[in-house]
Amino acid sequence: MTRALRIAIPAIVIAAAVLIPFVSGPYPLAVARSVLIYMALALSWDILLRSGQISFGIAGFFGIGAYAAALAVLKTSMSPVLSILGAGLVAGVVAFLLGFVILRLRAVYFSITTLALAEIFRVIIQNGGDFTGGPEGLVLPKLIFNGEAKALYWMALATVLLACMVSMIFQRSKLRFALTAIRNNELSARSSGIHIFKYLMIAFVASSFLQGVIGGIQLQGYGFASPDSVFDSYYTLLPLAMALLGGIYSTPGPILGAILLGVAAEYLKLKIPYGHLVVYGIIIVLVILLMPQGLFGLYRKRMKARASDGERAPGAERASGAEVRHG
Amino acid sequence: MTGPSLEKDSIVTDVSRSRLRRSLLWGTLGAVVVVALLLWKPTALIYGVQRAGLYAAVAIPMALVLGIVHIVNLAHGEFMMVAAYLAYFAARLLGLDPFIALVPVAVVMAVFGLVVYLLTIKHTLKAPELNQLILTFGLGIALSQTVNLMFTSQSWKLSLNYVTASATVGDLSFGVFDFVYAGVAIILAVGLKLFLTRTRFGKAALAVGQNPRGAAIVGINVDRTYAIVFALAVGLVGAVGSVFLTKQAIFPLVGGPYTMKSFCLVAMAGVGNIVGVLFCSLALGLSESIINSIRGYAGWSNIVFFAIIIGTILVRSFRERKA
Amino acid sequence: MADLEINAITKRFGGLVAVNDVSFSLGCGEILGVIGPNGAGKTTFINLVSGVYAPTSGRIHFKGRDITKMPAHKRAQMGIARTFQIIHPLENLNVRENVMLGFIFSRRMGLPEARRSAEALCDSLGLTGLDREVSQITMLELKKMEIAHALGNDPSILFLDEVMAGLNVDETKELVALVQRIAKEHNIGVGVVEHVMSVIRDLTHRVIVLEAGEIIAAGPYELVAKDPRVVAAYLGGGA
Repeated sequence: MTRALRIAIPAIVIAAAVLIPFVSGPYPLAVARSVLIYMALALSWDILLRSGQISFGIAGFFGIGAYAAALAVLKTSMSPVLSILGAGLVAGVVAFLLGFVILRLRAVYFSITTLALAEIFRVIIQNGGDFTGGPEGLVLPKLIFNGEAKALYWMALATVLLACMVSMIFQRSKLRFALTAIRNNELSARSSGIHIFKYLMIAFVASSFLQGVIGGIQLQGYGFASPDSVFDSYYTLLPLAMALLGGIYSTPGPILGAILLGVAAEYLKLKIPYGHLVVYGIIIVLVILLMPQGLFGLYRKRMKARASDGERAPGAERASGAEVRHG
Repeated sequence: MTGPSLEKDSIVTDVSRSRLRRSLLWGTLGAVVVVALLLWKPTALIYGVQRAGLYAAVAIPMALVLGIVHIVNLAHGEFMMVAAYLAYFAARLLGLDPFIALVPVAVVMAVFGLVVYLLTIKHTLKAPELNQLILTFGLGIALSQTVNLMFTSQSWKLSLNYVTASATVGDLSFGVFDFVYAGVAIILAVGLKLFLTRTRFGKAALAVGQNPRGAAIVGINVDRTYAIVFALAVGLVGAVGSVFLTKQAIFPLVGGPYTMKSFCLVAMAGVGNIVGVLFCSLALGLSESIINSIRGYAGWSNIVFFAIIIGTILVRSFRERKA
Repeated sequence: MADLEINAITKRFGGLVAVNDVSFSLGCGEILGVIGPNGAGKTTFINLVSGVYAPTSGRIHFKGRDITKMPAHKRAQMGIARTFQIIHPLENLNVRENVMLGFIFSRRMGLPEARRSAEALCDSLGLTGLDREVSQITMLELKKMEIAHALGNDPSILFLDEVMAGLNVDETKELVALVQRIAKEHNIGVGVVEHVMSVIRDLTHRVIVLEAGEIIAAGPYELVAKDPRVVAAYLGGGA
């Protein structure tokens, strides 16, 4: 892909995304905003996934962020915008502290622990009495930007851009080398001088921070948080399926998956009152079995195949002393 | 031959000595707790044991899969849930008592488990572990949401007259039916232990669990072993599901917490330690019931398992540091 | 003054003693062979040196510093590198990126500099086609990549774990020459764990022989090869 295209395509997409509120009615706009929320969550999930650790706890940090933002506004009269940042910070700090314990775990032990985390947070909040509003939850006196639909949408879009930026930092810097090395083989990574715990922690905190911010945005957009609503496993399931379908270990992948599945989700919700989530389960199963690298991964593979076809031409490789046998 | 190190003679005694010491410690602690409960809050003890039985019964089939096929089936609880629904229809439509429906339900579930395994899980065995985890996660969602789709999220319950059976000891009156779970758990544990150590297939399965490549070399069909063990485990958890139906309410998401707790129990006991699962379940059941009985804190009992598993992890990782 | 000093290292797993009271030293520019029958503890040995395992007792000194408690990644950063017996080339990273790892994380270079250095290193080893996936390269190239990856850490000590396995005669000769050159040019103390005796004979200055976790013989290859205890260890039978 030429340099020009690589800049042009994202620019066009972002421009289009910014302009959506001007061309859509209230319902499509709400759907689009919902897609953006899940898109940001999908990106945040992928960031940690790159280290080889699967988190089933997106809803946990999302919920913490929502409650942190709500409490900040209700108890300290913080400005809504600042409370969103605070939400991210709280989630990040919680992740940092928890990380010392749970980042020792690997694979399924880590994943099940994250699965349990959302439930733990929910129970703690639910039993938090008057402070957290108990089972009924918290209600904000007013919505951010007075609930103006366009503003809420752009706020979600800004969050997605933030998540993209973080994701790209992780893809372009030495973080990518560290996380990929850790994911593939920890012993080998160690022998390259990589401090595994440090990089896992960075990924975990970044991922959780984003999830907290997104939770804060959700809260400010709806003005309401209850244990059952914000810790709903929906917020874990959808981003996971989206990132998988779109293509894990990338930035464009979760974006693509979110658009596809996010729009489909709205349609399904209308057609199938109960159990429309079954589609997500089936998609996850099918993607893992048939297309684990996702749509973007397939695209990347094809690009690479085309590139290496060009490399096999004689003269492209410098002659080495030894005989080169294609194993 | 150069003299082997003197330590080699003490391999057996060294390991078993420390294990014995540890078991004694936990045993005495457990005995103290049991006696204390007996005196202070006997209902908590009874309830705890009954709960423990249920957890153990669900966890033991997972121990089988984890120990031999080495995969974590995040859809484990959902298989139990499906079985419970099957038993429900057997009761409602065919008038079969769940204890009678247990066998056909278990058989159906075993076949179902085999099909699921052959279609999906089998293909991820060679892939990175990440794939299996996500796959079974997706399976669980697919199962629970399909049930949701077909039967809505309403919870259903049978009202069997024998589940209210109770006994009175002194001035203490308690339900006795729930001990059936403990009974099922013990039958499962003993049955599996015998199966794995006395039958030809069982021994082969153990071998596959310990060393798949070595087992293949001596002629054991590893693929077939995995498939049968998985199907067996699903059949067993299906049987548990049928028993589950007798007294519990069922709804599409009922299986989720049991998957988590089963995994925690199996992890705590150590992979392959079926008897250990019984004791760990006891610890979990008693802890939950103690918290439950403390006024005002009942809501926290559901996350006791989390505290226990975190504790186990910390202790294990500190022990590893010293090594 | 030897750069790597191993003092009475013992490693116990539960009741099993994998390495028992092993002591030796390795200096820069030296090439030391480590041989012994299967199960003698050679890989455990390397794992102890590189920090994958912590010894049950004994001490390890590197350039005068006590590194016994130092974690593996710090040892790599300090200059102790190793290859792996079952090569775990990092997939999803191409050849160049694999080699860059040590430069980035042990030598703390920025990405562009790490890339240039990695390319220069590969060039000097005769490794080309750096954009290829690890699955696409030949066995010899794989070994070179592993060595390059280890060299990225700027090591003073390098342990090669059966790196000649799977190579034919010509490839083995090339790799032997390469290791000799590296040891001299970069002044690295190299530990070579091998099964192929001709390699040990041609490459090493001296040899230690492990059996059941203990050193049963040490010295130049010619002497060690004739030692009756060593012969018995390989062929079995009483001494």
